[in-house]
Amino acid sequence: MHDSESDMFRPMNKNEEYCESLKKIGIDAEAKPLDTDVEKEDYYSKYFANSPAMVTNHGVIKLKGSNIDEVQIIQRG
Amino acid sequence: MTQDLNPVPWGSQDRFQAHFIVKTHHDVSEDDFLARPKLETKGYFASKRVTGVRWIGYTLADTLNSDAELKNMMTRLSYEDAHITVEPTKGNIRIYGKWKDSYNFAITKELFAVYDRIASHIKRELGSPPVQS
Repeated sequence: MHDSESDMFRPMNKNEEYCESLKKIGIDAEAKPLDTDVEKEDYYSKYFANSPAMVTNHGVIKLKGSNIDEVQIIQRG
Repeated sequence: MTQDLNPVPWGSQDRFQAHFIVKTHHDVSEDDFLARPKLETKGYFASKRVTGVRWIGYTLADTLNSDAELKNMMTRLSYEDAHITVEPTKGNIRIYGKWKDSYNFAITKELFAVYDRIASHIKRELGSPPVQS
């Protein structure tokens, strides 16, 4: 008896997942590998008191044909 | 060895955020690009809806307040999604919303349209032509 689900699956990073959701709404998006220039900068300016001290970077998505240049995915903690 | 009765929670939480970044390419006055909306709402709990938006901040906030279509678009967003922050960091201006858990972490067409419109105002303020999308 075979299960209907495939035994193989491809694990996706969070930025790849988000990139897919951008593509679904018709945005030209491409998930980039880690270590781009944006990731080396501060994620928050500390103007707001509730900015988290520790975040995990999940990488960057490059957008084309939009006023937004890049999307960075971060996780709290 | 006894187990710690109050273990310290550590590690990443199930809270994600997407920062929509506009690159500045040159030094800008950071204060000018700080903006946050003050929302007027109607109803309570799950039925809470946004009825009006007033941006608080400096130069960019004034520009966003003068865009009636942006305010109209924001009233169509959910109360959670309408909490948008515009925050400049070194070399970038970041537009982001509230933290979301992995189950709800996705983008809608309406929310992206609002982010893109805010980004178009930022580009205009930076002196570069906005992209018509």
